Amino acid sequence: MVNLLERPKVQDRTESPRVDRRPVARLTLPTLLALTAIVTVVPFAAMVLVAFAPPSGRTFPDALNPANFTFENFERVLSSSDIPRWTVNSLLYSLVSVVCVLLFASMAGYAFAKKRFPGRDIMFWAFLATLMVPFQATLIPSYILVSRLDWVDSFWGLIVPTLANSQAVFLLRQFISQLPDELFEAAEIDGAPEWRIFTQIVLPLIRPALATLGIFVFLWHWNDFLWPLVIGQSAEMQTLTVGLATLQTQAVPINQVMAGATITVVPSLLVFGLLQRYLTDSIAMSGLKG
Amino acid sequence: MTDTLRQPASSLRRRGPRRRPWVGLLFVAPMLALFLVFRFLPVVGAFLLSLTDYRLSGRWTFVAVDNYTRLLQDDLFRQSLVVTLTYTVIFVPLTVLLSLGTAIMLQQVVWNRGFFRSVFFLPYVTSIVLAAVIWKWIYDAQDGLLNAVLGLVSVGPVDFLGQSGSVLASIAVTSAWKGFGYSMLILLAGLQAVPKSYLDAAMIDGAGSWQRFRYITLPQLRPVLFFVLVIETIGAFQVFDAMYVMTGGGPVRSSYSLVYLLYDSGFKYFDFGYASAIGLVLFLIVLIVSLVQRRLVGRDD
Repeated sequence: MVNLLERPKVQDRTESPRVDRRPVARLTLPTLLALTAIVTVVPFAAMVLVAFAPPSGRTFPDALNPANFTFENFERVLSSSDIPRWTVNSLLYSLVSVVCVLLFASMAGYAFAKKRFPGRDIMFWAFLATLMVPFQATLIPSYILVSRLDWVDSFWGLIVPTLANSQAVFLLRQFISQLPDELFEAAEIDGAPEWRIFTQIVLPLIRPALATLGIFVFLWHWNDFLWPLVIGQSAEMQTLTVGLATLQTQAVPINQVMAGATITVVPSLLVFGLLQRYLTDSIAMSGLKG
Repeated sequence: MTDTLRQPASSLRRRGPRRRPWVGLLFVAPMLALFLVFRFLPVVGAFLLSLTDYRLSGRWTFVAVDNYTRLLQDDLFRQSLVVTLTYTVIFVPLTVLLSLGTAIMLQQVVWNRGFFRSVFFLPYVTSIVLAAVIWKWIYDAQDGLLNAVLGLVSVGPVDFLGQSGSVLASIAVTSAWKGFGYSMLILLAGLQAVPKSYLDAAMIDGAGSWQRFRYITLPQLRPVLFFVLVIETIGAFQVFDAMYVMTGGGPVRSSYSLVYLLYDSGFKYFDFGYASAIGLVLFLIVLIVSLVQRRLVGRDD
């Protein structure tokens, strides 16, 4: 019952008689698949190769010679730019947002799924309606609001406005409404306080949903560009995406840009590698989109 | 004394959770507050701002629909609409074909499916900024990877991002590379839900693989395909990051999108009222795309 977000086991239909038994046809598709995969990976591979290539000379074919491998680009880009600072900013932006969104959205999702209170349906409908409004359409008023609060160029301004995540509320409400009512009624009869019911019954039961949603919220914030670009105006408030974008406009040599890019991609890849099961299995079910 | 204390508690218990509306309200309260201030207020604000000439100083006057009439006369706005539409027309078929193609291949090939699925999904977890930085170099006319490859067959060098004829397609390829893994996963799930018995029955009736795809798989896949089409279209209309990083809107504004114009109006010229009006146009476009989808899918059910 806890794995509700995972895609139900679909019977494997690939052994169907559709697969042609002629050897040539049997090899064509896997070859094409492998070629597509190689083309997909080439930009990453090229990025890493260039990042380790000697800073002088043409990037190709020099970058392909393993004898030339050097850490120089990494050392230079780390000392000349603010990458450590940007990384801290990106981490703070992403992690604080993940914790707050998961907490507030699961509280709201629980109330919408299991509680009755005046205005509930109108509120939920309004939450859903905001999904239709693209973020860019409200960029200007959001910015004015943040500047009126004197939050421009601060973590408050960066983080707080992005916490109002209606998609998270919607998903967690769907998930929690599938939990049986008897569970909560039994706890109520035992006299458990509401907050304990939430932390000791609801939260543990929705852990898989929280894991999936947490990964997405992390990636949305980690990869976010427009809002940090607008809010983080000083060099100290820039995130990795904004920093990387400015790096490559400032006549920094391409090898160093690629070294910077390689550094920025590592956390995303780590998250992906550790948790890809949650990611790929749940997209088809929920239609999460960054 | 003890009785009076116990009584309300027991009556609460008997009535159960549904009689205590404040509990639900308390649980919604933090998110509701965030929503009211940072979601609803800006939505209302966007509309109101678009009717003013709000400037950086905070001073403003009511100008009614002046911003909208200005939009209609603004060549740059028309240009950005054309750029956004052209980009969408290139990007959407490209990314849908790419994700459908890889989904079909993944469904047919059992060999290492999980591995390939991860590889195709990999670019999705990176940022569009990273994709743009890498591809900007790939397209580079002097030192880029693509021109190095083309050089091997004595073609080029081609300045992919420097020509108005190729710049939008080059950016569309970058965005498609970054994002197709997501739609691929949705389409793959859709493909796996096509009942095998239909396909087997068609096969016994002598249908070839193309016929089976065309007359069984494709109609079954239609709702999923439509969903993917709509989210990719909406995404395409919001294009900005890739253009900001790769071309700065150039050459000569040939990759200057609607959101780019919004960004410049707001944060280069601090013409907040005008920028809000552009935001509302973007909202209207997204709304129309969603409504068209609802009608077309609704007709199906």
